[in-house]
Amino acid sequence: MWWLTTKRNSLQAVAAAICVFTWGAQAKAQVQHTPVPEQPSLAPQLEIDGSGIATLEGRFPEHNAPGGGKISTSRINFSDSSLVIGASQRLYRGGGIGSLVLGVTTSDNSLNSTGTGLFLHQAYLDYATNPLEAVIGRTDVPTQLITFPTLRGDDLVEFTGVLDPFSSGGNVQEHRYSNQVAVTFNKNLRYFLNLHAQHLIDSTGAGGDQTGINSYGATFMYQGAPVLADMERVPQWGVGVEEQEIPGSKGGADTALYGGVVWNIKSDPIDRFDLRFQDTYTTGNSLKTFGDIADTYRAAANSAAMSFRYLHSPFGRPAYQVALTLGLRTYQNVPNSSSFAIALTGVKRLGEGFDLIAQYSYQHWASAGAAVFGGPDNNTIQLGFAYNFTDTFNQHIAPRRSLLSLQHQYIPE
Amino acid sequence: MSNLSRRSVIGSLLAGGTAAVLGTSATDARSQGTAYNGYNRPLPADWSIPFDPSATRPTWYPRNLPTPGEVIHEYNIEVILTPHEILPMAHFPAYTYNGTVPGPELRVREGDWVKVNLLNKTHDFHTIHWHGVDVKCEMDGVPFSTQYPVGYNQTFQYLFRAQPAGTHFYHCHQMTNLHVQAGLYGAIIIESAVDPVKQQFPYTRDYTMVLSEVDTAFVEAQINDMELMGTQMDYMSRSPEMMAKMSGEMMGWFASKEAFMSAIKSGWIPPYASSVAGKFRQIQPNFFMINGKSYPMAEHIRIKRGELIRIRLIGAGMMPHFMHLHGHNFWHVCQDGAPLQCPVQMNTIPVFPGTTCDIIVEGTNPGNWHFHDHSDLCLTNNGASPGGMMTMLMYDDAAAEGFTFPEVLTLNS
Repeated sequence: MWWLTTKRNSLQAVAAAICVFTWGAQAKAQVQHTPVPEQPSLAPQLEIDGSGIATLEGRFPEHNAPGGGKISTSRINFSDSSLVIGASQRLYRGGGIGSLVLGVTTSDNSLNSTGTGLFLHQAYLDYATNPLEAVIGRTDVPTQLITFPTLRGDDLVEFTGVLDPFSSGGNVQEHRYSNQVAVTFNKNLRYFLNLHAQHLIDSTGAGGDQTGINSYGATFMYQGAPVLADMERVPQWGVGVEEQEIPGSKGGADTALYGGVVWNIKSDPIDRFDLRFQDTYTTGNSLKTFGDIADTYRAAANSAAMSFRYLHSPFGRPAYQVALTLGLRTYQNVPNSSSFAIALTGVKRLGEGFDLIAQYSYQHWASAGAAVFGGPDNNTIQLGFAYNFTDTFNQHIAPRRSLLSLQHQYIPE
Repeated sequence: MSNLSRRSVIGSLLAGGTAAVLGTSATDARSQGTAYNGYNRPLPADWSIPFDPSATRPTWYPRNLPTPGEVIHEYNIEVILTPHEILPMAHFPAYTYNGTVPGPELRVREGDWVKVNLLNKTHDFHTIHWHGVDVKCEMDGVPFSTQYPVGYNQTFQYLFRAQPAGTHFYHCHQMTNLHVQAGLYGAIIIESAVDPVKQQFPYTRDYTMVLSEVDTAFVEAQINDMELMGTQMDYMSRSPEMMAKMSGEMMGWFASKEAFMSAIKSGWIPPYASSVAGKFRQIQPNFFMINGKSYPMAEHIRIKRGELIRIRLIGAGMMPHFMHLHGHNFWHVCQDGAPLQCPVQMNTIPVFPGTTCDIIVEGTNPGNWHFHDHSDLCLTNNGASPGGMMTMLMYDDAAAEGFTFPEVLTLNS
């Protein structure tokens, strides 16, 4: 019995036994088997990250939602808000760190009938030492190189990264998170080589409702010291290749080649002006028409996204930001199918992590896309607030890419 | 603990002339000292113990400069960021003077000149404050008060006459709560040609024990923040355009109270405001050290039956420590460098922050004896007992005197 295996904490065992007796069903439901149950638990370092974003939103004209139905022309949108809890502890030797991360995000399910739900977007275990990091579970897709300054991470997602060809599009988060096993090797915590295999979430059943590996690849990325992100001319760049095992009935396998860069046009601690760019080229899939929205994710295409961002930080502290993000997607084999998008985003900082936000975005589809999306154009206006916080309890482990680690390779025991 | 006077002295310079000249100069300087500082109040009739009210006067006028023939000891001291090992598998990122915690011990004769070339190899700011030494004001090492702090790759030259005689120490006065915890402290021993302690107690061995404590998580996080800011500034300093954007507000530096108030009116938020600082996490030291090491790694003190030894205790940290010697009484002979009016017999001596206490131990009781802080919190290593601020008084001739119990190292009792 699990509650009797903890030899040290007899009081806890008694209390746990009472709980099981009184509320047996709930208590048992919470208990998980541990492989070495006699080991006492070490109080880990706990980190809580929260991100809330809520906007009043207007969309016009009305158009189709992925999976059928119509998208509302107005709504109160709190999708892409998340809460993540991480627990970490030092391992016996070599400065190793073991971590567990669990998190949920509100999903962008825009149908009138279903509204917004919760999506488990982080559930993984992480083993990190100085030269490598290994991850198993669900987390951000490793193909996402560049973060663009739109309000939500899923804004303009068709242009900003490698898409999930198995997704129905009903939950846009499926493009951003996957089940994966990955190993990342680094040099001086600045150059990263990530080798990974993924199960991209298959909400269309295109993969035969299987849960196996359906995508694999590698990325190589440079990331400068975070402290110099607004000063180095090129603080970040990366390239990657991904093989997606799309069944022949859906046009066949895709190979994605992608690369991105962040370029500081004006390196300045007070008035920063930067450019972000990512291009994703997929080839191999032979779809020549769009039967539904899901086909737009898997047909061979070239997507490019670019943003210009101005950040004003008097006294070295961010005050406001204005950004223009552009996207263009063209399909090799589908005629009259290109689309483009533009987003103008403004953020006014009201307090630490708390912002007043606004965004206007416009997306256009040529006739092939217009047919499945229900129209050639979409305008979206949003106004609201965003709040981000992070806190660490029982702190005894420095961030992996802290300046001490970067400059001095300092990972203490 | 290293002794810089033996190891790293660049040279003891005679600026010219002979010993006779030296004597003449010193005499002149002394007379100058008494000339500016003359008070000769009569002793109160009811003062029970006679004392010399002029004893606090500097022997030499501190604002004088070296004259030909006077001895100048020159030292190079570099501030280096390096991991410091308190114990095996217990490290923290330390700011160090010349790579050690504590920094090198300086040992000079009273009246000699000390020239220290400080070179800062970290991205933070530093100084050296000569605690207990009657230096001239510009040599006192207080940033923005007596000097500008020393930045990355910058140097500052300290020059002062070593006075008064006794046990003193030096430490960084920039962000003292961090920099002293982080390791920037060391002993400076000014030896008198006519030491009353030596005359009364002809000791044969002389030990220095610098007492301090550290909250390793606090130090690691704070050094990272400071290095982060400093790295940004150093990067900016390569560009005149960016440096032109630097302002006092970015660093929290103001020329006057009026400038400070003006900045607040213009929207600058001070770093202690709850809107940017939240609530400060209290510093909670988890390692307690003697000369940078905790039990069982602190160096032992050696003695023989019948021998007199001198121990110089320096309270370099932020906490009081109550040093208790088992099996012996000892004489408290000096406080803050100065001989007491009358030695005091003790077996536990409080060493408060910023103070020094010299004691004389006589080898009267052969064996291996604990010498430790009696504030029990400080007898732990990261919460594990025994540990912390403890060492051993070991008799060289214990076995010969019939004590044969082996030294047993306990790390978990």
